[in-house]
Amino acid sequence: MSARIAALAIAALVIALAVAQDVYPQTPLYHTWQYALALAIGLAVVLAYANGARRGEDGAAGRRLLVAMAGAVVAGVAGLAAGLLGPDTASVIGTPGTVTPVPALGAAAFFAPVDAESLARGGAGVVLRRRNAPEITLAPGARRVLGESLVYLEPRPAAYVEAFDARGAHLTITQPVGTAFLSPVLLFRDRQRIGGFEVPFDTFATPAQHRVLRALYFTPEQLRQFAHAAAAVDTSKPAVIVSAADDTGKQLGITIAASGSTVTIAGIRLRATIGSYPALTIASAPPTWALMLGIVLFLAGIAWSVLRPRSAAAAPAQPQGA
Amino acid sequence: MRRLLLTIGTMVFLTACYNAPDASRTSAGGGPGTLAGAPAQSFDLRRTDGTTDSLARHRGQVVLLNIWATWCPPCREEMPALQRFARENAGKVVVLGADQGESAQVAAAYAKDRGVTFPILVDEAQQYGRAYAAVGMPTTVIVGRDGRVVKGIDGAMTLEQMRAAVAPALKAK
Repeated sequence: MSARIAALAIAALVIALAVAQDVYPQTPLYHTWQYALALAIGLAVVLAYANGARRGEDGAAGRRLLVAMAGAVVAGVAGLAAGLLGPDTASVIGTPGTVTPVPALGAAAFFAPVDAESLARGGAGVVLRRRNAPEITLAPGARRVLGESLVYLEPRPAAYVEAFDARGAHLTITQPVGTAFLSPVLLFRDRQRIGGFEVPFDTFATPAQHRVLRALYFTPEQLRQFAHAAAAVDTSKPAVIVSAADDTGKQLGITIAASGSTVTIAGIRLRATIGSYPALTIASAPPTWALMLGIVLFLAGIAWSVLRPRSAAAAPAQPQGA
Repeated sequence: MRRLLLTIGTMVFLTACYNAPDASRTSAGGGPGTLAGAPAQSFDLRRTDGTTDSLARHRGQVVLLNIWATWCPPCREEMPALQRFARENAGKVVVLGADQGESAQVAAAYAKDRGVTFPILVDEAQQYGRAYAAVGMPTTVIVGRDGRVVKGIDGAMTLEQMRAAVAPALKAK
């Protein structure tokens, strides 16, 4: 009896672990060997119980539970296969207003244009365009299963920068080392270690003024660790620390900029609106049909096991009443 | 028991083969040359003369869109040829300049100083530059009468290259 309950509990756990990949895809747990090992051990226990039950070691009830165990195996194998054989999780970071090919999906992703206000709200989406198929619009927080891939949007730190000269004239922003040369949106693709933290950073230039600027993104928690930063800005919101250099690399200054505020550095008036912009993330996921089949078999097996003894008990009563 | 251990061992082996993902793997788009055939994106912007204009307003005409800025040396070198091309193709090809990230006064002063007469869009937010995958300046985009990109060219062009670039779009119905 205790072996049966333990097997059922582990079977339920195996199904839950597999279903979790679809329900909470952002969790990095699924991409660890520990997760795969837990699923593998769970499957081994379920298979071992099922093998014994098939030979009658747990009586008639154990045989009826074979359907439930089959359900756990279907879901568990699907979950394990998604981790072992599925493609690696990949993030496609696209510049707002541009189209980026996504070969893994056989699609092109159009990253919605943003202005400073919409970037601050973090509400931008991505449209997937596929040949001979309708467009798919992904909103922040939405998830879609496409074939054997699960696609969703992950918000990433971003900043919309505007630069002005001393007379207030707007200056061109370029990103010479970025993938979008003419984008005023910093996506902080790289990371730098500073003061015990690893912080995202990005670089941009104002060629008309011969300035190259480097912006480091700090979360409120990180800002609070720096006394001088905490005194300069509201530490309840993220901020960027900006350093400027000239064309030859000579350092010209450093400042901290809160979102939306204008700061002056190396003769440039700079405004950075900080928010988020989504990256398109593609993760392998167990096929929905396999998970549904596993759950249905598991529940049907339990129902059969519970209901069958009652009907069997009720059956002898009929001749008595006749 | 031996069978159970064998099963667990097999699964542990498979787990060891687990291909851990690299979350930092990313991909990104190409330059303007990759845009041929794509629908031309359009943004309503103010021109240096104060009126509003966009690519979409010239649907049905062949458009040469030039993405530039006053501080950009190759753009400045290309400008006389572009002005000459606009003059000799008046009525056949619409030439639109899209000044990137600069104020209207800066772009207008430059145009007046250099005798540029074709319309210039003041694209402070650099929307055309982003949409047309500019990887440098100048970038030129030829848009056909059907509103699709015919060709995207990175770098300064000569007058002959401009003529050759619009020829297929002019021939197409």
